[in-house]
Amino acid sequence: MAVTPVDQHDSTPRVGTPPHTLGELFLGFLSIGARSFGGVLPSAHYVMVEQRHWLTPEEFTETIGLCQVLPGPNIGNAAILLGKRWLGLRGAVVAFLGLFALPYLWVLTLALLYTRWAARPLVSAVVTGVGASGAGLFMATAVKLGRPIARKPAAVVLMAGCFVAVAIGRVSLLVVMPIAVIVGLYFSRRNML
Amino acid sequence: MTLIELGLYFALLSLLTFGGLSSVIPEMQRYIVDVKGWTTAAEFMHLFAVAQAAPGPNVLFTSLIGYRVAGIAGSLVALLGLCAPAAALTWVVSTLWERVGDSPWRTIIRRALAPLVVGLTFAGGYIIATPHTPDWRLWLIALATAAGVLRTRVNPLWLLAGGAVLGGLLL
Repeated sequence: MAVTPVDQHDSTPRVGTPPHTLGELFLGFLSIGARSFGGVLPSAHYVMVEQRHWLTPEEFTETIGLCQVLPGPNIGNAAILLGKRWLGLRGAVVAFLGLFALPYLWVLTLALLYTRWAARPLVSAVVTGVGASGAGLFMATAVKLGRPIARKPAAVVLMAGCFVAVAIGRVSLLVVMPIAVIVGLYFSRRNML
Repeated sequence: MTLIELGLYFALLSLLTFGGLSSVIPEMQRYIVDVKGWTTAAEFMHLFAVAQAAPGPNVLFTSLIGYRVAGIAGSLVALLGLCAPAAALTWVVSTLWERVGDSPWRTIIRRALAPLVVGLTFAGGYIIATPHTPDWRLWLIALATAAGVLRTRVNPLWLLAGGAVLGGLLL
């Protein structure tokens, strides 16, 4: 993403200056959603930290860190958390709607186009290629997240166990997840992860 | 009835989506394709591909499943189903957090979840790249994309475009 110069008088702010109105909040999150092709985290950082100075880089990292231990889309959770902190319940709802509005319309439009052209062999082949490519993005994410813990035997057992149970054994996640969380917490409390 | 079923199912999944959508993809595919027969495996993969070509959080994929199953209402129910319980949990936890401050439990939980997210995210990639029996062409595209992410700094959108081209040539 291109780096644009920030305001000269505001080089290293110590605390962010949050949005004051629901409108400002909505437009900020609308902009995050609209520019998030290829990944929503970079665009969230760009809009909230570099462009609008709502958050300092440290506050941003702290917020995302908390959202990562919670289930749900990370940036969706961040919208709830920040919207609430700045402008209460209405803030949380407005930030969330802003984030999803444009991508939702976009994806629905694409789906309509897809339905119309899906019967053509070339379209089907191209779409399948994009799907396989998206699978590759997941694999790369798994490798990135797995590297730091790949030398810990307990972590390897958990990783492999989850993969085999879910991908090969096709066991329901509703069964696998509770067991894996309990085992994970047990290992984690004993400093094995 | 389908709408209620769809909403309840995604609401249940919502609380399992650690690390984002990727970790619940295998479960979604199992339920939607194998158990319910709402889409075929190939169609599931195609809808996933369509969602990849859109901006925004990748949970938007659920709205496409919902759309396929029950139209516009289905798309909203599926998306809200997947997001609302997690959002409610975030609300509660953030309230506690700003009162209590940092705690060693956060590190313990983060470390406990990391291997799960890795295993399940890889399972998500595996399931999408293997809609039927393993096909070397799909795996070639997937591994080339993964290598592109790990070895270069190019925007993932270009890698998806590469996948589109390879798909058109190979498949």
